[in-house]
Amino acid sequence: MSLLTIEGLFAHFGGVAAVDNVSFDLRQGEILGLIGPNGSGKTTVLNLLSGFLTPDAGQVRMRDENITGMSADRLAQRGVLRMFQMTRVFTRMSAFDNLLTAGMARGLSESESTRRAHALIEELTLEPVQYLNAGQLSGGQRKLLEFGMCFIEPPLIAMLDEPFAAVHPVMRDVMAKFIRARHAQGFTFLLVSHDMPIIVDLCQRAVCMNAGRVIAAGEIRSVLQNHDVIEAYLGDSETHSGQDHPPALEVH
Amino acid sequence: MKPIHNLWQERLRFDMRAALVIIALIGLLPAVVYGPYALGIILVSVYFAILALGWNLLAGYTGQFSLAPAAFAMIGAYTTALLDHYWQVPLALGIPAAIVVTALFGLMLGKLVLNLSGPYLSLTTLAFAEIARVVIGNSHEFTRGDQGMHVATLTDNRLAYYYIFLFALVVVLACIYWLLKGKLGRFMMAVRDDPVGAESRGINVVRIKMIAFCISCSICGLAGSLYGTFSQLVSPELGLLQQTGLILSMVVIGGMGSLSGAILGGVLIYLGSEWLRGFGDIQMIVFALLVIVFARYIPGGLWGMVAARLQGRRS
Repeated sequence: MSLLTIEGLFAHFGGVAAVDNVSFDLRQGEILGLIGPNGSGKTTVLNLLSGFLTPDAGQVRMRDENITGMSADRLAQRGVLRMFQMTRVFTRMSAFDNLLTAGMARGLSESESTRRAHALIEELTLEPVQYLNAGQLSGGQRKLLEFGMCFIEPPLIAMLDEPFAAVHPVMRDVMAKFIRARHAQGFTFLLVSHDMPIIVDLCQRAVCMNAGRVIAAGEIRSVLQNHDVIEAYLGDSETHSGQDHPPALEVH
Repeated sequence: MKPIHNLWQERLRFDMRAALVIIALIGLLPAVVYGPYALGIILVSVYFAILALGWNLLAGYTGQFSLAPAAFAMIGAYTTALLDHYWQVPLALGIPAAIVVTALFGLMLGKLVLNLSGPYLSLTTLAFAEIARVVIGNSHEFTRGDQGMHVATLTDNRLAYYYIFLFALVVVLACIYWLLKGKLGRFMMAVRDDPVGAESRGINVVRIKMIAFCISCSICGLAGSLYGTFSQLVSPELGLLQQTGLILSMVVIGGMGSLSGAILGGVLIYLGSEWLRGFGDIQMIVFALLVIVFARYIPGGLWGMVAARLQGRRS
C-alpha cells in the first residue's frame, strides 16, 4: 500500500531545474533508497517532501491527503520526520534534553518523554554523553541523537539524509541495527545514501536520480544494474567493458 | 548518586536560586546607601535589571536580537502617561494597560518582522524604535513632544518606590522562570539553537518567536511605565538608542541566557555608568569595549564565570 505518492514534482532555482518531473511512491513499511550522484537532486526532493521547500509544480499525497507545500512543523506533527545530512541538534542543551524537547514537540508529556528518552539513550549507546551539551558530541553521536529525536514518538515516515556519512563504523552498525529493528516493527523509511553496501543491505527498492530526474526505480538489484544508473555514477559504461558490474556498484 | 533526569531544569533551578540571592542582596542595599540621590541610582539600576531580563528572554533564550527594548519601555511609559493625562485613568489600571499595549505593539511588529532573522530582524526593530521615538517627539499636540509629560506617582516615598521596583523585578523573574521551566522555555531554546532543527521536530518557530517577542515587549512596557510614575515625567529620551545599547551591554556582560546574569549585569552596569559619569561622557565607549571583550573571550558573561566556579565547587 502506498503511504506517500509523489507526482510530477518540479523545483527550479533560478534557471536550474533541481527537481524535474519526479514521481515515485513510498510504500507502507518499506525502506526505500533514494540514490544518485552528487548534485542529482536527492536532498532537494527531501526538502520538498519534508516541507522545507515548496514545489513549483506537482503533488505530494500522504495516503489520501494532499500535503504539498505543507510547512515542516505541521508535517512533523503528522509524523513526517526528517534527519539532515548536517545534523540539526540543539547544541546548548544536553543530549538528554534534546530528546525530551523533541518528545514534547511531538505532543508527549514530560514524564512520557523522559521515560522514552531513557530507553532511547540506552538503545543508542549514548549513556556516557547523555548529560553533555549536544554541541560537545562527536559527529556520529549527534547523528545517533538525531535518530533518537526522530523516533521518540514513532513517525509515520522517517526521511534520513546521508545518515552514515562520516560516521565511525561502530556507530554505523548501531544506526543500521536501529533502522533494521524499527523496520521489523513496520516503520517506513526514505533513505538517502551514497553507501551502496548499506543501501543494498537495508533497502528493498530504490529510486535513482540524476540531474534532477528519476532515471531508474524498482527492486534494488535491478536499479543498481541499470545501464543509466551505472553511467550516471561512473560515466560512459563503454569504458568499463569487460566488467560485469562497476566496482562502486558491486553488490556483495 | 541520584540520577539527574532533566539537566535544563537543574540548571534553571540553580540559576533561579542565585537570582533570588542577588535580589535579596539588592534588597539590603538601602541599609548601606545614604541619601535620596544614591537611593534613586540603585532604584534606576533595578529598572534596568527588569529591562535586561525582558530583553534576555528574547535574545538570550530565543536568539532573536531586537533593537527596540528601550522603545517599548518608552511606549509603556507613554501609555500610562497618556491615560493619566487625558482620561485620569488611575495608575492601578494605567500600569497594567502599559503591559497590554506594549504586548499589542509587539504582536503587530512581530507579525511584520518575525519571519525575518539575523540582521534583518535587528534592523527592522531598530527602524521601528527610531520611528516611534521621532513620532512621539514630534506629536507636540498630543504628547507635548520633547518637553515630556507629567505622570502621577504611586508614592512620594523613595524607599517605598525602591521596594515596588524590587517587587516588580521578583514578579517578572518568577513569570520568566515559570515560562522557561515548561514546554515553552524548551521550545524557545530549541529555536535559539537551531530554528530549522526546531521546525523539523514539529515546533512552530514563528509562533514561539512571536510569544517570546510579545512577552519581552510587555516586560519592557511594565518597566517603562513604572519608571515614568517614579520620575513623574516621561519623554522620548526613554527610547533613545543609547538606552538600548546599555541594555544590550548589561545582558552580554552579565551573562546572556541566564536569569542571574541579566539582573547582575543590569545592576552592575548601571552603577558603573553612574560612576563613570565623573570621567566625562565615556560610558558607552567603555561598555562597547567590554561587550567586544566579553562576546569574544567570556561568552558566558560575569554570571558564567561565577556559575562555573560555584558548580565546580559543588561537584
